[in-house]
Amino acid sequence: MRGLITKVVSYGIIIFIILSLNFFLPRMSPAGPLSLSGSGSGLTSADQQEQVLEEYGNYLRGLTHGDLGWSSSKNAPVSEVLKRSLKWTLLLVGTSTVVYIILGILTGAVSAWKKGKKTDVGLLVLLVSLASVPPFFLGMLFIIYFGWKWDLFPRFGAQTLFVNYSTPFGVALDILHHLALPAATLTLTSVGVIYLLTRNSMLNVLGEDYILTARAKGLSEWQILRRHALKNAMLPIVTLVALLGGLVITGTIFVETVFAYPGVGLLVSEAISAHDYPLLQGAFLFFALAILTVNFIADLVYAHLDPRVKEG
Amino acid sequence: MKKYKKKKNRLGLVGVGLLVVFVLTAIFAPFLAPYDPHQRFETTEPPNSEHLLGTNHVGQDILSELIYGTRVSLFVTLVASAAAAFIGTLVGLAAGYFKRLDFLLMRVVDLFLTIPRLPLIILIAAFLRPSVLNLVFVFAFFEWSVTARVIRSEVLTLKTRSYVDAARMLGAGDFHILGRHILPNVVPLVVVQLVLVSRYIILAESGLSFIGLGDPTAKSWGMMLHDAFEYPTIFITDLWKWWMLPAGLLIGLTILSLSFIGYALEEVVNPRLKRSLVI
Repeated sequence: MRGLITKVVSYGIIIFIILSLNFFLPRMSPAGPLSLSGSGSGLTSADQQEQVLEEYGNYLRGLTHGDLGWSSSKNAPVSEVLKRSLKWTLLLVGTSTVVYIILGILTGAVSAWKKGKKTDVGLLVLLVSLASVPPFFLGMLFIIYFGWKWDLFPRFGAQTLFVNYSTPFGVALDILHHLALPAATLTLTSVGVIYLLTRNSMLNVLGEDYILTARAKGLSEWQILRRHALKNAMLPIVTLVALLGGLVITGTIFVETVFAYPGVGLLVSEAISAHDYPLLQGAFLFFALAILTVNFIADLVYAHLDPRVKEG
Repeated sequence: MKKYKKKKNRLGLVGVGLLVVFVLTAIFAPFLAPYDPHQRFETTEPPNSEHLLGTNHVGQDILSELIYGTRVSLFVTLVASAAAAFIGTLVGLAAGYFKRLDFLLMRVVDLFLTIPRLPLIILIAAFLRPSVLNLVFVFAFFEWSVTARVIRSEVLTLKTRSYVDAARMLGAGDFHILGRHILPNVVPLVVVQLVLVSRYIILAESGLSFIGLGDPTAKSWGMMLHDAFEYPTIFITDLWKWWMLPAGLLIGLTILSLSFIGYALEEVVNPRLKRSLVI
């Protein structure tokens, strides 16, 4: 319980720091929007300091009402723009996370099981190489081959525009069709870590005596794998999955840019090229809070699974 | 087991070899590149005898861009990770050795570890003027915390060793012990961290350049990918084959070589640690 309180307090401090950075950064920046209007320059005089503090108070009060400012490039409130994009990013992150966990554990288990054989070496080389490819580069290759050359998947966006589907099934199919390439990109560039960890912890577990016992009992290979080996290899995997969450969430910035997938990540690169700083800051807040949430859950799950770290 | 180890060290050697080639390319870029990367010719020419990889949207020779790009990508990566490793080592040594500093320093480390670094780096880079030095600064400032934590825990065990007690008994001062007896023992760990951090930074740098935060006057490989991606017909014509593909492959190859070195070093430095791959 004490550990939990400390954790909540430290996350609270970090959120406060992030909110403050979000307010003060543009005011300190030489290239930022406020240096042009002059209100950010020369914080030395007491008057201006007071004014900035008042603005800071207004900013924090505004945040509690969900007021994130006005996006000049979208000509709409930032909160509205974020709200429209949110579902796509969640869909992309959610799908990729589920797929790469399953894929990573499966390939890792198979690889450990077939250690040293062709399947193992092949998977190892393939997945480690994929982990070395920048996600946006893999995305571009996918667009070239799956999008243009073979014309199997849509090349951009999250939905076909101006088409009315008669059934919700048609809409869902269209959305999945658009989701396939971005999700595959994000999945393949993240799967390597889970794969390596599963493979390693499986290799360690497979050397244990109880696996030999299980085999001697006459259990089938599949039963040994599922009931004895995989179960014990899970703990480090679970914690890593949660920690990787942050990586996948930031990965959407690059992947959504490549596929023009209309999520919050695309907003980041659009805001950068349009010099739309309020939008960039709003998107930053989203990413920071999303990652912190995932990390917090990771901490809790870890403490729950492994009682030794309860007093973290 | 011995056989596997050998294989891994061979991979490490491949990694070192590749990296050396890249570093030499970066150093001797002016001699290797056929043209000045800013010089302009006919735009978007396909590969020919004068321009082996064609020219880009403003008529710059792509091969020369790639060769000079090695400089930018490696400079950002190596200088930023060296600076990060340096700060991390200093903080780790101080926190591990001096009990009074430990609590305060580790809270700062915790803060840097928990804060979502890449989004923050993107935000700060967007507010700074896009330049190579700014990128180096931002990466160095945010990526030292893991190293600090690793070094600290090593120092905590090192300082209880009997030879440290013996040195203290003989009247050695704190800084003598740190410099002579503790630092040499953490150097291998620092090198491993250096490799891991540079692997991360080159990936992050290419990503930042790709979304438009790179230095337009000194183009890295990521910046070249940005240019190529912005070009309207990059995917429908064959342009991508010589404009986009080489830059992307070079980034991937650098990351792969750093991974190989990292895996091999981890095995050498800490054989007990089995978290890297076992081939």
